Amino acid sequence: MTTNPPDEAVSAKGEEAVDEGAESVAGVTEPDTSSDPAVAEFAERIASLVGSDTWSADFGNAKVQVPAVSWVESVDKVRSEAGLEFFSFLSAIDWSNEVEVGDPLESRVSERFEVLVRLSSVENNDAVTLSTDVSKEDPRLASLVDVFGGANWHEREAAEMFGIEFEGHPNLTKLYLPDAFEGFPLRKSFPLLSREVKPWPGLVDVEDQPSTENPEAGADQENAESEEGE
Amino acid sequence: MSQTLDPQAAAHLSEVAVSVELQTADMTLNIGPQHPSTHGVLRLVAKIDGERIESVQPVIGYMHRGYEKLAEVRTYPQVTALVNRIDWVSGFANEIPLMAALERLMELEVPERALSIRLILTELARISSHLIFMSSYPLELGAATPLMHALRERERVLELLEGVTGGRFHPNFNRIGGVKPAAGGGSTMKKVSQDLPQGFLAETKAAMARMDLICDDLEDLVSGNEIFMARTKDVAVIPAAKAMAFGVSGPNLRASGVGFDLRKHENYLPYHKYEFDIPVGENGDCWDRYQVRLEEIRQAARIINQAIDDIPPGPLQAKVPRVIKVPRGETYVRAENPKGEMGYYVVSDGGRIPYRLKIRSASFSNLSILPWALKGLLVPDLIALLGSLDFVLGDVDR
Repeated sequence: MTTNPPDEAVSAKGEEAVDEGAESVAGVTEPDTSSDPAVAEFAERIASLVGSDTWSADFGNAKVQVPAVSWVESVDKVRSEAGLEFFSFLSAIDWSNEVEVGDPLESRVSERFEVLVRLSSVENNDAVTLSTDVSKEDPRLASLVDVFGGANWHEREAAEMFGIEFEGHPNLTKLYLPDAFEGFPLRKSFPLLSREVKPWPGLVDVEDQPSTENPEAGADQENAESEEGE
Repeated sequence: MSQTLDPQAAAHLSEVAVSVELQTADMTLNIGPQHPSTHGVLRLVAKIDGERIESVQPVIGYMHRGYEKLAEVRTYPQVTALVNRIDWVSGFANEIPLMAALERLMELEVPERALSIRLILTELARISSHLIFMSSYPLELGAATPLMHALRERERVLELLEGVTGGRFHPNFNRIGGVKPAAGGGSTMKKVSQDLPQGFLAETKAAMARMDLICDDLEDLVSGNEIFMARTKDVAVIPAAKAMAFGVSGPNLRASGVGFDLRKHENYLPYHKYEFDIPVGENGDCWDRYQVRLEEIRQAARIINQAIDDIPPGPLQAKVPRVIKVPRGETYVRAENPKGEMGYYVVSDGGRIPYRLKIRSASFSNLSILPWALKGLLVPDLIALLGSLDFVLGDVDR
């Protein structure tokens, strides 16, 4: 093969490779299996503390969902009563069915911003991610600045990147971006302009193995792989 | 500004019926973005009253590269190359939490030898980062000699890193499920060339044996210096409660008396196998932040020595699919980087590129305490505080 293979061949080859590997990677399709009982117990404890019944502990990440109305109160409670006094970060996720960048989600989600805050203890490895949903039509949420001073910059970043209004923030101005910048770059609806002009060539590099150029090296590699597989 | 004048002068002033209340106007002082003590492109707009700082507005973002957005159009292996550039003083350490997060999502069992190599190189990166601090910090406070000593030793450490990874600053050495087969071989030489270069372990051991002496040297040169003491002791104290509320982590948090080190609390690398101490400061002043880092160099050398002694044999890579797809799910993994807590919140939808990658960098949070910590300090103390926080603007702006 001297030219790049057509797209169909690319994806077919890719799928095949994944199937091969999947045998050695147990349970890749079952996200719940890695839920650690200690983490789950901790997540449940935090959930009952803040009066929430939505929690998860997948992949060692204790996550508790709280309603937006009790956002500040819940975070404050976790800080003072559960002893998670270390403010790790605050950020957001844009759950969106239409995307301008990256791959779209496989299944449809309810359109929203999910604001996350990560708190941890400094005595042990207790840590929790608190999250709340913010509507896209009117993205606003109470500010955590009075609970954690560190939330100041993190909220400014989330505000300029996602367009979320943090009410009660003392200085909600642009942090990274120039004052005149328009738009909210981390929203999924915000295109990456350089990629509009020219698609990222690296996205196909995994299929473009040296074996297509140099059959000898490729043969060696395949032998090596089959040996490893045995 | 009210100031106590000496009695004679006060008497004189009242005689001539001049008010002793000096009227001073606030002045705005712009520092940076091109100022050596800001370690890059940080700008501070300080409102000062005489020599005293009333308030400071840090202006960041001159180096914002938008990695979180870029990660959304790149495959997982490509993101590794990006994250090297976040904190370039310890590029290798940046890769570790990302790898750990992806491996946790993929439920990969990483070979023990690969983990040990990661651990050794992470500690080398810590030493090189702290040696930069040891060279630049005394320099900012007027001592030029330690720079030569610390940079010379850092060069040795960088050579060791380069020998294994091929890169001094941006190793891009970790692979999902292990580490890259070391530099130098094509596919036909894969079997012989995929391990550590010959002599690396012995050379690293020799370098670590020197490290204690270097720390002694630095201690002799800097720690006993009266000017250095006067400029750092009891200067810019950050109490533990404030540090935690602002998310200040790493050596800066430990200097404030909180013995929190993720190497002891998280299991992203096998640190539990080795003995090491966590140096903790008492007052949270600039002096403590300096002392904690000096001691961390010694401890890192101690860890490396133990890790070399019992480096396990075996493969460098777990078996992974050729096209990396990360199962649906989200997780946050953090690691103790030289600058503090660095973590990645990865949201995957089961595909080849991340749906969202939140980068939690240490310097960003460490720096966010500036407006609080600088209030009421003298202008020269600003330099002392900035240097002691040991931030890198790439790590702040991402």
